[in-house]
Amino acid sequence: MLNVIVSGLAIGMVYAAVALVYNVMFSTSKVLSVTTGHISMLGGVFGAYFITALHLNWLVGLVGAIVVGAFFGFATELLAIRRVLNRSDEHLWLLSTLALATMVQQAVGLWWGTEPKPFPRLIAQDFGAGVWDQKFWLPIMIAILMAIGLELFYRRTMYGKLFLAMSEDAFAARARGVSTDRIRVMSYVLSGALGGLAGFAAGQLTFAYFALGLSLTLNGFIALAVGGLGSNIGALIGGAALGLLNAFASHWFGGEYQQTISVGLLMIVLLLKPEGLLGSKNVRPV
Amino acid sequence: MSESPFLSTAKLFALGFGGLLVVTLPWWAGNQYQLHLAALICVYWILIAGLNLVIGYTGQLSIGHVGLLAIGAYAFAILVGKFGWHPGLAVAAAGALGGLCGLALGLPSLRLPGFYFAMATMAFALIVNELVLAQVDLTGGGIGLPGPLLRAPFDSPQGFYYLVAALALVVTLLSWNIARRMWGRGLMAIRDNPVTAQAVGVPLFRAKLVVFVFSGVTAGVAGALFASLQSYITPDTFVFEMSLFFFVCIIIGGRGSIVGPFIGVVVLTALPEVVAPLAKLGHFFYGMLLLAVVLMVPEGIGRVFEVVAERLRPRVVRHDEIAPDLPRLARALRSRA
Repeated sequence: MLNVIVSGLAIGMVYAAVALVYNVMFSTSKVLSVTTGHISMLGGVFGAYFITALHLNWLVGLVGAIVVGAFFGFATELLAIRRVLNRSDEHLWLLSTLALATMVQQAVGLWWGTEPKPFPRLIAQDFGAGVWDQKFWLPIMIAILMAIGLELFYRRTMYGKLFLAMSEDAFAARARGVSTDRIRVMSYVLSGALGGLAGFAAGQLTFAYFALGLSLTLNGFIALAVGGLGSNIGALIGGAALGLLNAFASHWFGGEYQQTISVGLLMIVLLLKPEGLLGSKNVRPV
Repeated sequence: MSESPFLSTAKLFALGFGGLLVVTLPWWAGNQYQLHLAALICVYWILIAGLNLVIGYTGQLSIGHVGLLAIGAYAFAILVGKFGWHPGLAVAAAGALGGLCGLALGLPSLRLPGFYFAMATMAFALIVNELVLAQVDLTGGGIGLPGPLLRAPFDSPQGFYYLVAALALVVTLLSWNIARRMWGRGLMAIRDNPVTAQAVGVPLFRAKLVVFVFSGVTAGVAGALFASLQSYITPDTFVFEMSLFFFVCIIIGGRGSIVGPFIGVVVLTALPEVVAPLAKLGHFFYGMLLLAVVLMVPEGIGRVFEVVAERLRPRVVRHDEIAPDLPRLARALRSRA
């Protein structure tokens, strides 16, 4: 039973980390990017590539995965967001990020192969460690650290306050002399780095797999919607709830219906409390 | 494209020529594979014509229609293969089931805003795949099912081709009828501004739901024909990327048009067969195309032709002489004095 709880919590925290990445992007651009899960996928794949294929030290691999993630975040902003936000059509960013996500997924599939490949052990540890295995506590620790770090960043630093100002009202922030374009690029680079870190930490749990991106995008979004859009604590709670629900469901009913159950959770929350558990209600402008 | 009920001579000529091409295709097609490809285009078009109303006209970005296609295909294969139904009846049943599932999917998800809706439909496609894999007794799981042939005279490649071409024509007419009348205007209003549409009396949710269910029916029928055409279906046939393909056809063809997506599906289905390197790139190519279109011509490729046509068309410049009516002016001045 403890095993089920820990593994559920671990995968839930991966979803929570993806939800945090969504939040960072959403705060400055009001865009929910389809590429969010693919950033973490890149972190995992490139982490495995650096360590296994290039035989680098795992710290170098970690830095490499973060750099790749940050670069992809930057590329997302440059290619899929910037031009599209200048137009008024609100659906276009969905199309452009979906296109970019597909391109990245297919490119990784062609280069890396379509089979899941194992992610190397980072810290020397016996494989019989059970619930204390590093593949469980690494993602949990990273997600909690990311949430704490983001909260500190938003509350204590100048740039964090600029992010908050943009998420409240981008026009007002611009009128007060904030270079909104530059802050938006920064938020995408930051979210890319965080996504790469999360993917690297979750690598041993999820394997380095090219099609992981889409499932992380969906499940991270469910965690976000359950916890409430824009809330970091909500993302952690939503991720934990989703992971635990999935783990217990596959423990009791077998693993075939995971997706159905996650979406069921999403639908129930959206019907009962559309803004999520900790989200702020926003009024529709007419 | 259809402001007036009467078509211009040029359009009539193009339609007649296109019709002739479609009818005579089995004679000039080089081999069986090209005929297969033509039938595949028609099957895709049956789905896309319905989906076009949802994406192109109503602006609801559904990226999960491959789930409805899979439901239609499996319903057909199971009803004919396991229960021995008449294939024609099974096609109709697949359409009905597709419509029902469209209703079940649309009822909760059409209330959601853009990204939420897209994610819900994507999740639906993943759920269908999951259920197909889980229900091994019914669907054969990962091994798949054979897609049975239709009855004579539709069991030959030519017969099947004529059947799907006729069905595609019927679906085109249906969607054209919806698009050009009051319904189509209402749907476009929903796409462009839902609040305004509601204010002028468009039943927002009902209109969206009806169109979505219609697209579910066409997806179900297309799925049944798809299963029969491919002769074997597995869960791997209905990958999520296939949904993306439908989506790209419509966006590239241009939203709010029927000809555009049709050209899109013809070109995008035929292109990887003609240009071999593209087939290797596969869905990467579709993603790249979608990104390029969204960034450069979000109105669709059709818009490029329109702009070029406007440039090329000889501009009629009218010179209306504006001359003062001098006697009248003089009279007016005199009466004032």
